[in-house]
Amino acid sequence: MLRVENLGVRIHGETILDAISFCVQQGQTLCIAGESGSGKSSLLRALNGLLPAEFGSLAFHPKSSEPTELEGRWRGVRGLPGSRWVMQDPIAALNPKLPLGVSIGESVFSKNLSATELNDAVSDALSEVELLPELAVRRPSEVSMGQAQRACLARALVARPDLIFFDEPLSALDAIVQKQVAATMRRIQMRYGTTFIIVTHDLGFAATYADHVLVLRNGKIEANQSAGNFFRSPESRYCEELILAARELGGLPEVVPAKQGPGEARSC
Amino acid sequence: MTFQIQAEFSEETDLQKTKHGKDLNRFLFRLGVMVLCVLAVATTGFLLSPYAPNSPDFLNRLSPPSEAHWLGTDQLGRDIATRLLYGGIWSLGLAFLITFVGAVMGTMIGLVAGHFGRAADVVLMRMTDSFFAFPELIAAVTIAGVLGPSTANMVFALILVGWMKFARLVRSLSIDLVHRDFVVQARLNGLPSTLILWRHILPNIGPSLLVLWTNAWSRSILSISGLSFLGFGVQPPNAEWGAMLLDGKAYMQTAPYLMIFPGAAILLCVLAINLAGDRLRDLLGGNSVGTGK
Repeated sequence: MLRVENLGVRIHGETILDAISFCVQQGQTLCIAGESGSGKSSLLRALNGLLPAEFGSLAFHPKSSEPTELEGRWRGVRGLPGSRWVMQDPIAALNPKLPLGVSIGESVFSKNLSATELNDAVSDALSEVELLPELAVRRPSEVSMGQAQRACLARALVARPDLIFFDEPLSALDAIVQKQVAATMRRIQMRYGTTFIIVTHDLGFAATYADHVLVLRNGKIEANQSAGNFFRSPESRYCEELILAARELGGLPEVVPAKQGPGEARSC
Repeated sequence: MTFQIQAEFSEETDLQKTKHGKDLNRFLFRLGVMVLCVLAVATTGFLLSPYAPNSPDFLNRLSPPSEAHWLGTDQLGRDIATRLLYGGIWSLGLAFLITFVGAVMGTMIGLVAGHFGRAADVVLMRMTDSFFAFPELIAAVTIAGVLGPSTANMVFALILVGWMKFARLVRSLSIDLVHRDFVVQARLNGLPSTLILWRHILPNIGPSLLVLWTNAWSRSILSISGLSFLGFGVQPPNAEWGAMLLDGKAYMQTAPYLMIFPGAAILLCVLAINLAGDRLRDLLGGNSVGTGK
């Protein structure tokens, strides 16, 4: 449903991303891994139109919105229609002065819902992420990190997107809350068949949740494989080292369990 | 079990936040009550006095403080206490008006410059810089002098030299905010610029703006008094604290209370507003731009 080919991003003459090609199928999870500075976040920003693309093409065919097709030098497309983005730091991603409900409601701003419809949609989204609807009147400083990240997830969900981008969605949370939020994400994906593109540097997380793994290094692709293949026989020496390092730290099990998700990993 | 953990976690943060919030709310409430009291006294206080602020009484010229005239009378026999209360309208009220208009102007210019950037930013900020190039009071004296001494001209002059600080502050804060995650989210969600400014930028620069505004208000009281003292501001026979200082200057040796009381009024008002501004800044602290922490 999302196909990116030969994407290049340059800022002030410096190549940030070079020849990035990948694709994701409906309902699957793509994990983008790599060290800091490798271009993971820049890729998300470029896909959401916050960074201008120097060359390359992008085709996005969501089920429920207009398709987006871009080619050559594209820029200024503010967010792909039919997609939402959950950011790393939930506190920074929510306006400190606004009640959570208003922030969540802004996600469906373009639908021009009436006040009651909006209220219902927001409460639905909140219960979807296992938060009490009463939290809608709280401000970000009045909830925990985990609750704030769930609210961000609700903000994405309320728009019923076909694709959700996550930028290190769990790294600001502590372990127990990480586990809970990850479970919620999984449940949502199972229920709605939403496609996830998750930027992470936690290979253990990728091993558990990814169908497909994309490893970036210095703005180039090091590996673009299905998760099973990646953890069994990674494409490059760098990825082998990455996996070994994660194993030594204990973040990655010896035998990578098969992901139980909607459908098998399909190549595309 | 897991829900318990979450509940405890959130309660703890609640407590920390609400304590701070209560402090702030209590302070803002007190400040509001204080400002209202001062404004009430300044606007209606002279009505309670048995004397009219501007009518002379030549039998009681330059009388020292007494039971009948608590703060004495001036060279035309007018009651100084009444004139002080009446003059408060001019000193505090005009300063309020000037800084309010200046704040609105500066905020709009700063928002446009900070949010739209590029050409708008360059043009507006160079304009701001060139206004900054003139020393405030001298520029005001020049403008008021060229236009002729009158209250309206002074207000115009002080507005003209007073808005730039607001523009600069608002611009730098909004440039910072425009790149914050929550503003990016709002933009990706398709909110129009005006709504983003109104809902996401303005509330988050509000506290800093308030602190700057208290500062500007107290400075503006000084400017008005200064200009009036020089004869460019509020014109006789109207009482304004600076104008009263000017009136009393000739009698400084024989009747110092003509200058002491208006001087003390200016000092106390400016001091009070500055102290309130300081406290406000402490309370709003690092939270003013919405660091979230």
